[in-house]
Amino acid sequence: MAEIRNATGAWDELIDAEGTPRPAATELVAMLRALGDHELVARQDAADLAILTAGITFTVYSDGRGIDRAWPFDVVPRVIDATEWRRTDRGLTQRLRALNLFIDDLYNDQHVVRDGVFPADLLSGSVNFRPQCLGVRPAFGVWAHICGSDLVRDADGTMYVLEDNLRVPSGVSYMLENRHVAKRAFADLFERQSILPVDDYPEALGRLLRSIAPNGPDSDPTVVLLTPGIYNSAYFEHSFLAREIGIDLVEGRDLVVDDDDRVLMRTVAGLRPVDVIYRRIDDLFLDPEVFLPDSTLGVPGLMRAWRAGTVAIANAPGAGVADDKVVYAWVPELIRYYLGEEPLLANVPTYRCYYPDERDHVLHHLDELVTKPANESGGYGILIGPRATAAELVERRAAIEADPRNWIAQPVVELSTAPTLCNGRLEPRHVDLRPFILSGESSYVTKGGLTRVALRAGSLVVNSSQGGGSKDTWIVDLDDPIPYWSNG
Amino acid sequence: MLLSRVAENLYWAARYLERAEDTARIVREHTNLIVDLPTRVAVTWEPLLAIIGSRHAFDARFTTADERSIIRWLVAERDNAGSILCSIESARENLRSSREVMPSDVWQGVNDLYLFVAAHHGDGIARSSRSRFLERVIGDVLAVNGTLTSTMSRDEAFEFLRIGRNLERADMATRVLDVRAGSLMAAVAPEYEDVQWLSVLRSLSGQQMFRRTVRGPVSGESVLRFLLHDRDFPRSVRFSLEQVRRGLRALPRAAYAAETCERAVELLEQVPVTLTGTDLHHWVDELQLTIATVHGAMAETYFVSHTPVR
Repeated sequence: MAEIRNATGAWDELIDAEGTPRPAATELVAMLRALGDHELVARQDAADLAILTAGITFTVYSDGRGIDRAWPFDVVPRVIDATEWRRTDRGLTQRLRALNLFIDDLYNDQHVVRDGVFPADLLSGSVNFRPQCLGVRPAFGVWAHICGSDLVRDADGTMYVLEDNLRVPSGVSYMLENRHVAKRAFADLFERQSILPVDDYPEALGRLLRSIAPNGPDSDPTVVLLTPGIYNSAYFEHSFLAREIGIDLVEGRDLVVDDDDRVLMRTVAGLRPVDVIYRRIDDLFLDPEVFLPDSTLGVPGLMRAWRAGTVAIANAPGAGVADDKVVYAWVPELIRYYLGEEPLLANVPTYRCYYPDERDHVLHHLDELVTKPANESGGYGILIGPRATAAELVERRAAIEADPRNWIAQPVVELSTAPTLCNGRLEPRHVDLRPFILSGESSYVTKGGLTRVALRAGSLVVNSSQGGGSKDTWIVDLDDPIPYWSNG
Repeated sequence: MLLSRVAENLYWAARYLERAEDTARIVREHTNLIVDLPTRVAVTWEPLLAIIGSRHAFDARFTTADERSIIRWLVAERDNAGSILCSIESARENLRSSREVMPSDVWQGVNDLYLFVAAHHGDGIARSSRSRFLERVIGDVLAVNGTLTSTMSRDEAFEFLRIGRNLERADMATRVLDVRAGSLMAAVAPEYEDVQWLSVLRSLSGQQMFRRTVRGPVSGESVLRFLLHDRDFPRSVRFSLEQVRRGLRALPRAAYAAETCERAVELLEQVPVTLTGTDLHHWVDELQLTIATVHGAMAETYFVSHTPVR
């Protein structure tokens, strides 16, 4: 009999404080109890084997070389009620609309700065603001076509947006593969309840990419996915998405830009024009003519072609200006400014070290707060005050004083937990959630997203590059057996 | 439209898979032959090194050319790019960067074989477990080829796989003939000549089809004719070159490569099948060089770099 424990103080996604299953998780919890640890372990083993033979991997760096590792997956799903998800979906759509309006504004008229909503010197000091993008007007005014926002749930059950990833967010392929594996492990449950399907994502992404082609979606555009190559940690995903959408997976060396600012790819039939590039390379590596001159990952002249409008790039160069953790602190104000609406999804209260009064507060409460560098991803550089050593706190204080703009601080959000199979039994482990939001002429939000889980007891670090695992995420519709489709 | 880089990866993946399969067949058959023949017949393991063409590198690594060293070298040696272990690894690496153009079952099959070989290559060395290991390799590559044949569209990607596989197959067949026929003509053990010719056929999986097609006694000349010139047996040099020809017909800008392929076919037609009074070694050598020019033409026409991923 599988015993399912609750962690002290944290919100558990499947069971409440009394140990009663949450309504959307009733079927699952009953199943887990009926199966028992032994059978669960057997299903976990079968899932691990399926992942290994399917070659579902991610790459980690060790000793300067990339090593291919099997994707870590926990067989016990995380469940969210569809009613809650509809609200979250609307909140995410609202948020990304505002962020896209913000980016478009920054690279064009800068009303937001002139109206005094966003400080001008913050803009000029932003490492992700690209002056090379000024004056460009991408289709539909959309710069961040694909966004992965990280959601966390606090002890009282409130869902917060922890950060928005607008540059090259990854993880969606694992969301899809997790579902594939979970369907095998819990085939019976999928029949008995309405778990919203996730596998329309590649179709939605393909449609979005074709919709931004310079000559329109009906011009039979050639769409490619630009990858840094096989040694990139997300290469599996690049290959997966190219395959699922049915587009070519290209590297920088496969592309050239000619004198007419056209992007061409080297095929066995000769050079062929490219209309849309879904790039999974950071801005600074995109074009050595404009950004890092030593980069061999990108394509010389790509920015020329983009500015000339002969090729569309998703996400647009410069879109990362809005996923700065400093900009994050302004998102509620940006939603009000651009949309005249109240934010539907909460921001974690954020202190901006840029402002002397907020900085003083942070420096006085370093041991209580989580401090984060403004421009790192993958969980790097995060210091959790209550768990830090005295030496780490001293070091962090010095770092903040040396470069205040680069730092923000937030209260510790006690991440929610979900029962996770650890050493042969179910234990509570902390989780977050990364849904993916697509923006073009219309919007699309994944049904759920990628649930990441910290596999070490008590740990809050969920990143796969740092020992995190993942779970399938079930949006369970209790009222309506008919699938629900988002249309922002 | 197929990317040049991907075309190159596919071509090499197919070559490496074919090489692994062919090496497995040759090692398996040589083991059988040695077991079959009386111990007084001086058949050694060294022809295997000559076939795979890596004698020099082998000598740099091992001091004696005994069974264990040679089999380790051909099956499980990391320093030998042509070993079964490395071939499968290279095939997987090349496919890993071209997964998006083929059915996912193909990748799964290759990945599964890679995981098996990476974990069990030691089993290929000891005689007791050797054939089981080699048969798994042969069976898995056959299954992959079957999956390709029955699930992949006949697009450009498929043709690069086809051409890579068949060039490698033709190349391996000529190597086997060269070395085996050479050592046979030296007439080490005349009373076992038939056994040895049957062994040549089995190295290329041709015994049964030979029997059905030729319907006569085994002789050096009939075996040579079958393995070089038969139009219907899928592992003959003739058939393999026809497959390359067919692949090239479906590709753009193929004039130069097609021309080299025609030259190879013309040369093949001139290769005599008598063992007396001809220098077979010379002919086969010429044939191998001509097959290599087809590869050169492919690389020059289609590939971004001239080095495979490995």
